[in-house]
Amino acid sequence: MRADPVSGSARQRINRLRDDAIRWITRRHAQDGQAARLGRDRVYILPTRAGYTLVAILLVMLLGSINYSNNMAFLLTFLLVGIGHNAMWYTHRNLLGLRIHSLPVAPVFAGATLSIAFRLEEPSGRPREALTLSIGARASAPVAVPAEASTHVELTLPAPARGVYQLPRQRLHTRYPLGILEAWTWLTLSPEILVYPAPIDPGNVLGGPEGHATQPQAQSRNSGETPDHLRPYRPGDPPGRIVWKAFARSGKLHVRESVSGHGDHLWLDWESMPAADTETRLAMLCHQVLAAHEEGRLFGMRLPDQTVELGQGARHRDLCLRSLAQFRSEPRILDPEGSRA
Amino acid sequence: MKPRTHTVAADPGLRGLELALIALPVAALPHVAHQPPWITLLVVLAIATRAWLLASGRPAPSMGIMAILAVLAGGLTLTQYGTIFGQEAGTALLLVMIAFKLLETRNRRDIVIALFLGYFVVVTTYFFDQSILIAAYSLLATWLLTAALVQVHAERRIERRRLARQAGAMLLHAMPFMLVLFLAFPRIQGPLWGDPQREEAARTGLSDELNPGDIAELLQDESTALRVEFDDTVPPLRAQYWRALVMTDFDGRRWSADRDRETIQPPDTDDRVVHYTVTLEPTRGRYLPVLDYPVALPDDAELRANYQVLRDRRITSRIQYRAAAHLTTPPGVAEPHLDPAERERALALPAGAAPRARTEVALWRATHGNDDHAVIEAALQRFAGEPYRYTLRPPRLAGDTTDHFLFETQAGYCEHYASAFAVLMRAAGIPTRVVTGYQGGSWQTRGEYLRLRNADAHAWNEVWLDGEGWVRVDPTAAIAPERIEQGLPGLASDTGESIPDFLRRGEGLSWLQRARFGLEDWRDFARFRWESWVLAFDPERQRELFARLGLDPGDWRSVLIALGVGFGTIGLVALAWMWLRTLRRRHPPADRVLRRLSRRLARHDPALARAPHEPVDAWSRRVADARPELATAMETFSRTYNRQRFGRLTPAQRAADLDHLRALLQAVPRARLAFAPRPSRAAN
Repeated sequence: MRADPVSGSARQRINRLRDDAIRWITRRHAQDGQAARLGRDRVYILPTRAGYTLVAILLVMLLGSINYSNNMAFLLTFLLVGIGHNAMWYTHRNLLGLRIHSLPVAPVFAGATLSIAFRLEEPSGRPREALTLSIGARASAPVAVPAEASTHVELTLPAPARGVYQLPRQRLHTRYPLGILEAWTWLTLSPEILVYPAPIDPGNVLGGPEGHATQPQAQSRNSGETPDHLRPYRPGDPPGRIVWKAFARSGKLHVRESVSGHGDHLWLDWESMPAADTETRLAMLCHQVLAAHEEGRLFGMRLPDQTVELGQGARHRDLCLRSLAQFRSEPRILDPEGSRA
Repeated sequence: MKPRTHTVAADPGLRGLELALIALPVAALPHVAHQPPWITLLVVLAIATRAWLLASGRPAPSMGIMAILAVLAGGLTLTQYGTIFGQEAGTALLLVMIAFKLLETRNRRDIVIALFLGYFVVVTTYFFDQSILIAAYSLLATWLLTAALVQVHAERRIERRRLARQAGAMLLHAMPFMLVLFLAFPRIQGPLWGDPQREEAARTGLSDELNPGDIAELLQDESTALRVEFDDTVPPLRAQYWRALVMTDFDGRRWSADRDRETIQPPDTDDRVVHYTVTLEPTRGRYLPVLDYPVALPDDAELRANYQVLRDRRITSRIQYRAAAHLTTPPGVAEPHLDPAERERALALPAGAAPRARTEVALWRATHGNDDHAVIEAALQRFAGEPYRYTLRPPRLAGDTTDHFLFETQAGYCEHYASAFAVLMRAAGIPTRVVTGYQGGSWQTRGEYLRLRNADAHAWNEVWLDGEGWVRVDPTAAIAPERIEQGLPGLASDTGESIPDFLRRGEGLSWLQRARFGLEDWRDFARFRWESWVLAFDPERQRELFARLGLDPGDWRSVLIALGVGFGTIGLVALAWMWLRTLRRRHPPADRVLRRLSRRLARHDPALARAPHEPVDAWSRRVADARPELATAMETFSRTYNRQRFGRLTPAQRAADLDHLRALLQAVPRARLAFAPRPSRAAN
């Protein structure tokens, strides 16, 4: 019904207006950063469709009471009015006072799904029920928070393209206990979100412009396979290089080191990637970083305006991947619908 | 019903379905008595089926089956009632709709709709019954429905106790709003549409005809007709004649009530006046029973020239009114002259009626001449002297009913005597009329009110005496004075066989019966309070309440003020309560336990109380020195306390530690007096 382009653009316009309105409403709130506390000034509440249904039913009941001059019907109608009125307080209170902390978001490769998690903390001794976190049209499963305890609320978002992202405005909402009202708050928590390039194996790219169809990573390798040299283990040496046979003999840890002065190191170079466009080069570099880490190599990476010095291990790999994700990328707002902005 | 895909997997909202399947039948139960059995059967089947489907994890039936069932049910309702509107048919349709809604429930929305309709079902109960019992019951149903709504929206199973408490609290919090709205919401006199009176058709009040040949059904009716509260003085029973209808026209068998008397102004007097409030059950007539002589009337009623008080519309639901009476003829009321036309009507006897009675009266006239008093006395003497009987089960009268009663059967109740007496008086040339109403009743010491049943209906006469005006004569008093002095039960001794059990409150009853009547008095008291305080509140009562506060419910500003003050009070009380709670919560829970422990120790020895500046571990060592048996407990307490206040704990650890602290409180006995040393029970 809504598929035709006219109403589609109308909807976009409405969405934009809606966005402006929310920005105007929340203009007095500072950015939340890593944590937020829900005070009275940021909990909003409006009736839901079920709420309007109840209002209609109560109106009919009131008319019936008047028509039949039935005082007990008046009493019950007014009792329900009271309950409906108090539901404002109950629903509002279900959100009020919560503390929300954003948890670190594990980086993913482009095309995978990001898992966003917040920790909800209940400080005031009231158990909270049925809290949902939504970002755009994506909503988490509802969670409950026991009194004076905390719970994680999780939500997955698609991560379509490499880059550094910020979360768009988040909405934490609840309809507990009667479903006739929805209380919500807008959050602007901004955990760091890194999306690495999806790795592409340069070896599989046929007919690359530079014709480097084979093993471009061999570029700065010391090709002379000189006999290994053993030296005593120093903290930080990768476990893959420990010579276990030597350990069995001597009871001491030794690592294998190549004789040449530079060691068995590897430079991954932007320039040597067999692709023209930035993203593909980054994707290839990403593959190389992963491969080098897998092999336990000592490696460094050269990007046009940045160099990652030689190193090895998981932290080094992550540093390289982070550089790839951040490469010429300003933080962008993540689109929860997953379309490439 | 909207088409909807029925592939939706079990919605988390379905968690409330179980409770809904309990709450809705509870809400519908009172309808069983008022609905044809097939409705009950249908609802029970639908709910049982849904419960079975839920228990066995099967999905709801498909849309096709549901559509067929819905058409079938609608058709059945239509054939049963010929309509789907109105109270019975509407309720039937509502019940069927809910049953099907439950049967096809697939998601939260379905349950919520069914539960909302459940509230509606509770309201429809009141069409049939407005007793205090139903009020309590519907509170239970509302509580269950609300609990089900909460469970539906909770997204996880809430512990039963917590759910019950929460739903209860919701009802409790809503009560003040209910009260304010009930009193201050501007009332309009219904109905807005239709004729909502059919429901009350079952019961009627006094008949506007009196026919001594008929069987007295009303006199066997135990139900309450009216209840009266007197402001201060209670008039003597002898004066408690509640006049309702006046009958002047007689066709030889039947008396019919006057309809054509003009309206007069009640006399204006404050002297020796009895003020009272009547709660009258619906009678479908317009008459309001009042005491003689009515001097103050409710606004919507008028006084007719025959001292009959009529309301401006039929009494189809219970009403309450205030009135006042002057127990003797008020000054200026005794009419010096009877209008000639009126005199003629009050003397009329159909030609040939009661020939034997006329002969008898002629004899009295011959004896007493013009002395009307003596003739009246002669008539009363006749009833008192000859073998007349008072009975509620008189033989049927045939032929000329007056003569048959006077000379053959000689047994009857008030109607027979009043009718025969009137005929005798008219034959003697004394203008006479029949008055019906209530007399006697039982004084309810609990609640201090007079309760008149339909069985207390009575008929008596008024005769016109020149210079005195209309004077009340009660011929029944001549045959059965106890009937007047003590009400019907007074007759138990001589005519016990004809008095229903419930009227014989005195001797001759077993303790069980007496207990039953005691209980019955209590129940009537509760019912009366419920009816006079809750059910009788109408636009009229509201106007009085507002007037007492200097307001007027017809003026929207007054209504706003009343509502504003009411809600403002609720708001302030709620704020104060929340403020107190925050004050209590200001201290961390561990500190509250610490303070309790210190207080508990101080009860044994004031020196053991913790000084405000004293570190907890120093204090605990000090206590341990003084009371070695507490050493372990104090040591554990101080360690746990410090970890609780200053350590980094997971929420679970924190809660466990807090429980531990509370448990340690038990190590110190509660005893206020001398400290009896006992082995430490410190929980470790």
